[in-house]
Amino acid sequence: MAKFKLFNEDANKSPLKHLWRHFKSNHSALVGLWVFLLLAILAISAPLIAPYGVNEQNAQALILPPSWDDAGQVEFILGTDGLGRDLLSRLMNGATSTFGLAILAALLTTAIGVVLGVFAGLTRGVKSSVLNHLLDITLAIPSLLLAIVIVAILGPGLMNTVWAIIFALLPQYIHSVRNLVAQELSKDYIVAQRLDGANKWQILKTGILPNIYEHIVVIFTMSLSTAVLDIAALGFLQLGAQAPTAEWGAILAENLSLIYLAPWTVALPGILLFIAILSTNLVGDGLRHALQKRRAS
Amino acid sequence: MRTLSMLCVLFTLLACSPAERKAGNLGLVYCAEANPASFNPQITTTGSTVDLISAQLYNRLLSIDPVSGEFKPELATSWQTSDDGKKITFTLRKDVLFHNTDYFTPTRAFNADDVIFTFTRLFDVYNPFHFVSEGNYPYFQSTGLDQLFRSVEKVDDYQVTFELFNADSSFLSNMATDFAVILSEEYAQKLLNNDNLEQIDVKPVGTGPYQFKQFQRDVMVRYYRNENYWQHPVALKQLVFDITPDSNTRIAKLLTKECDIAAYPSNAQIPVLEAREDLEVEMLANLNVGYWAFNTQKPPFDNVAVRRALAHAIDRNKIMQAVYFGNATAAHSILPPDSWAYQAQPNFPTYNPVLAKTLLEQAGFEDGFTMNIWAMPVSRIYNPNARKMAKLIQSDLKKVGITVNIIEYEWNTFLDKLTLHQHDSVLIGWAADSPDPVNFLSPILSCAAVFSGKNPSNWCNSEFDLVLTQAIDTNSIEQRKEHYYTAQQMISQQLPLLPIAHGLRLQAKSNQVSGINIPPFGGVQLANARKE
Amino acid sequence: MLRQYLVRRLTLLFFMVLLLSLFTFTLSYLFPGDVSTNLSGIDSAGFNANDQITEKYKLNENYLLQYFAFIQHIVNGDWGLSLASGQPVFEHVKTLFPATVELALYALLISILIGIPTGVIAAAYHKKWQDHVIYTVTLFAYSTPVFWLALILIMAFCLQLGLLPMSGRISLLFEVEHQTGFLLIDILLSNNTYKQAALIDAFHHLLLPSIVLATYPTAVLVRFTKDAMLDVLDKSYIKSARAKGLNHSQIIFHHALRNALLPVISQIGLQFSTLITLAMITEVIFSWPGIGAWLINSIYQRDFPAIMGGLLTVSLFVIIATMIADILNTILDPVSRNRSHGQV
Repeated sequence: MAKFKLFNEDANKSPLKHLWRHFKSNHSALVGLWVFLLLAILAISAPLIAPYGVNEQNAQALILPPSWDDAGQVEFILGTDGLGRDLLSRLMNGATSTFGLAILAALLTTAIGVVLGVFAGLTRGVKSSVLNHLLDITLAIPSLLLAIVIVAILGPGLMNTVWAIIFALLPQYIHSVRNLVAQELSKDYIVAQRLDGANKWQILKTGILPNIYEHIVVIFTMSLSTAVLDIAALGFLQLGAQAPTAEWGAILAENLSLIYLAPWTVALPGILLFIAILSTNLVGDGLRHALQKRRAS
Repeated sequence: MRTLSMLCVLFTLLACSPAERKAGNLGLVYCAEANPASFNPQITTTGSTVDLISAQLYNRLLSIDPVSGEFKPELATSWQTSDDGKKITFTLRKDVLFHNTDYFTPTRAFNADDVIFTFTRLFDVYNPFHFVSEGNYPYFQSTGLDQLFRSVEKVDDYQVTFELFNADSSFLSNMATDFAVILSEEYAQKLLNNDNLEQIDVKPVGTGPYQFKQFQRDVMVRYYRNENYWQHPVALKQLVFDITPDSNTRIAKLLTKECDIAAYPSNAQIPVLEAREDLEVEMLANLNVGYWAFNTQKPPFDNVAVRRALAHAIDRNKIMQAVYFGNATAAHSILPPDSWAYQAQPNFPTYNPVLAKTLLEQAGFEDGFTMNIWAMPVSRIYNPNARKMAKLIQSDLKKVGITVNIIEYEWNTFLDKLTLHQHDSVLIGWAADSPDPVNFLSPILSCAAVFSGKNPSNWCNSEFDLVLTQAIDTNSIEQRKEHYYTAQQMISQQLPLLPIAHGLRLQAKSNQVSGINIPPFGGVQLANARKE
Repeated sequence: MLRQYLVRRLTLLFFMVLLLSLFTFTLSYLFPGDVSTNLSGIDSAGFNANDQITEKYKLNENYLLQYFAFIQHIVNGDWGLSLASGQPVFEHVKTLFPATVELALYALLISILIGIPTGVIAAAYHKKWQDHVIYTVTLFAYSTPVFWLALILIMAFCLQLGLLPMSGRISLLFEVEHQTGFLLIDILLSNNTYKQAALIDAFHHLLLPSIVLATYPTAVLVRFTKDAMLDVLDKSYIKSARAKGLNHSQIIFHHALRNALLPVISQIGLQFSTLITLAMITEVIFSWPGIGAWLINSIYQRDFPAIMGGLLTVSLFVIIATMIADILNTILDPVSRNRSHGQV
């Protein structure tokens, strides 16, 4: 819908700025973004700023409640676990293992997924049909199940989990990117470009990629929240991170034996997980809405 | 409107709380920690299996009074030992019936043939059942009992004579353990005719208070009461073992009233259980030891200095606190202080990382090495949380430069793999089956135990075996004590294993349940159990 | 048109199953350990037994023949023995799988009964406070790890309030004969004196796991229904209906709902696969004797024949469920027939 415009410069603002303006107006998404960035910074710096070592045991301080409790101690702000390890330090390091690795997994998936997806989008005929049917099959199998299969083959372990999650997320990615590319390809301006004599790679570079990268960011946030959930779920099932790695799901599973005695050791990693996934989802939703709004305006 | 009516249904269903549910008077649920490995206690020594089957399905010839230590008649009414101690004659109880189940109907009462069949299966290779279930009788083999029998002879229908190769002071107490149960010869004969020998260890027939009904792996074992139990009427219609390997889940189920008894609650949960008025926690003395065994055939653990260094490197006080929560006594010998042959060992290793480091350097391991610790996946009185203990040891050993990998398997797999001696070291333990000290030493450290795969240290020392033989050859308590003192010294010098602690047996149950009998030498007897 | 479509779908299904069976067969080579052990579940015992297994699975022949032998055994219901229990894997699957399907079905029922109406409400009150509340709640449901939710609910309802049991399908004291494998049906078929009590007890056991399991799919359904409704409400025929003077509820119920539900139905089919995966975690926590908990347990124990059997069953089920949903959707909604591939 054409609108009356007072200032001419406004119309020349880049699409990205538009997107940001719409995103900014959504307060919950903004809060989500801040939390997201905070967690990302924590994931990078946790080993440096954590007050204690991940596996440092304090024999005098077993199962201490958080410091605000009467029995708590100030040195251990969130208390300690059954082996006398500082819970705060473990949870901070958990940000690296859970959130950090999830970001890594999602980024790697994006890199591979976009390449393969674009390739799939550009090819036609038998090759494309075979690929699509293969994708249909793997798409039907949920990522966690696929990850469990892969862990069953590779054996439990944190890095194996990351590989498994990359493999498991990939089909969804390729599928979405392929659809996006196919959609763009059928648009008039691409046809015009083609008529101008542009070759495949020129079309891709100047026509398609600039138009789909925002969608890729949205897909990225979706796969990131899946990755966090899957890493934690595998850790919880003791198929992912192995003791004594500080990974939120694994910490949760490890402290299950203290659930009556020290419920906070189970509650806190769960809350962190929840916050991490929630913030990712908020950012993703915010982006999607902003994109929709920009289209509409 | 639809949601509203849905909610109404939901509330009516929620409104009847567990107490009102009618399942209660159908029987008793015992939350057990592992699948029974077999239904015949002759072929296993696994505590979790024996608890479920021995005292519930079977009877022995005689039993031991836990308080006075005297022998009491069970399926035998009396017994006599010849002067040279080599012949023991049992007079058997009359009118005892075997279980009448879906798969077997007895036509005759218990008699001498059953006793003869039961024991010939153990030692006579010509018995058709000897090699069924791989022909392993770990308890009898590790105590040397299978080598002791010369013959079992029928005197008349209700009298049996055991002839031994030599006199053995521990014979009667071995016959009173949970492993020496009596099987039905008539049932065996029937299986022989049907050419279905394996069934004898899978679908049991005994004379005990309960009879087998159903076993669903990883889920449950169901027994019905034996309506013809010879000793007394049985109160419970059904006895169900809910197989719950995770100790938290067991406690949680006790709290939600899904279990009436929870086996081996972990020490960490005691304060929670004690806070509840409808639950009872008992702490019972128990003859056991939790230890850390080294594979003494595998370098570098074949070196005593290395074993000693490892023993000095770990902080046992931390373990006592973090693993046992104080519900145990620290070990100062392999035997627990309650045993009559106990002697605290003066040279028992104490926490001294500096010394440990020095010992390692002397043995040529300045840079340390990498080893594994197998942590048993179940909770036992002697070690309520082996995984946690392994982690504590892991961090202690890191300080002396040794890297530790912790290894776990499902319990029965764990035990199977342990017999292959692939481990470097293992956290496991032993709970006594009878008050006799030989029961502590011989099943886990004798050469015979190495061959039957039940010696986790893989330690065969002929001098040690000789001391044990000398101890059972004599009837004089004083002499036996001396021999056992020597044996204990040898262990604390050689350290094939490091004794860590003697745990108290914890037992948690609903206060509606009564009549459970737990002898200090293992097992649990539910014959008199009842529930209000 | 429809027949042509069906043929195409069934061919696809055939190839999917073929690929899946190939994959499962490959697993026996991918897993660590002996191929013959992985296939048969018999630990390479004496020479004799080993030869028999080699013969049975044609392990000396080329891969193609091995694959055919494998397929033949699978079709005949001979899935090898479980290394952990020594029992046939197929027997395990037969007793365990219905429990999982039962749980997933009830959860699906809950998520349909709650998810679709809620989604419709959210669309009807788009951008009003009702919509915002629903959005927030679904976002939370979306973001909560299922295992954590389960633990919190167990803490609250089982341990604190003592209202509900926390494990298994029924109190073990009730002896229900295994007939169909679906417990509620089995109870109704049985002739026990405590039928009613058993039924109530089974229902109690079912409540928490199915609620936990239903949470995520419900959130998905709410969002999907809402989006579908909004899509439809934007269409020109709705505008013309509004122009005719129909009121809001008439438009929603008579015009929009029916059209919006079509894509929702195929979404329900897709949810089945999510449900089965989440069921694996739920089963572990609630000690539900289903195939998921068994599969995960088998992974712990490196029981490869069991892992293969479990994976085959679960994947097969997921693929067939997805396919059925797809076909159902096409029968109900002819427009989608021309779309050759599904969309995310």
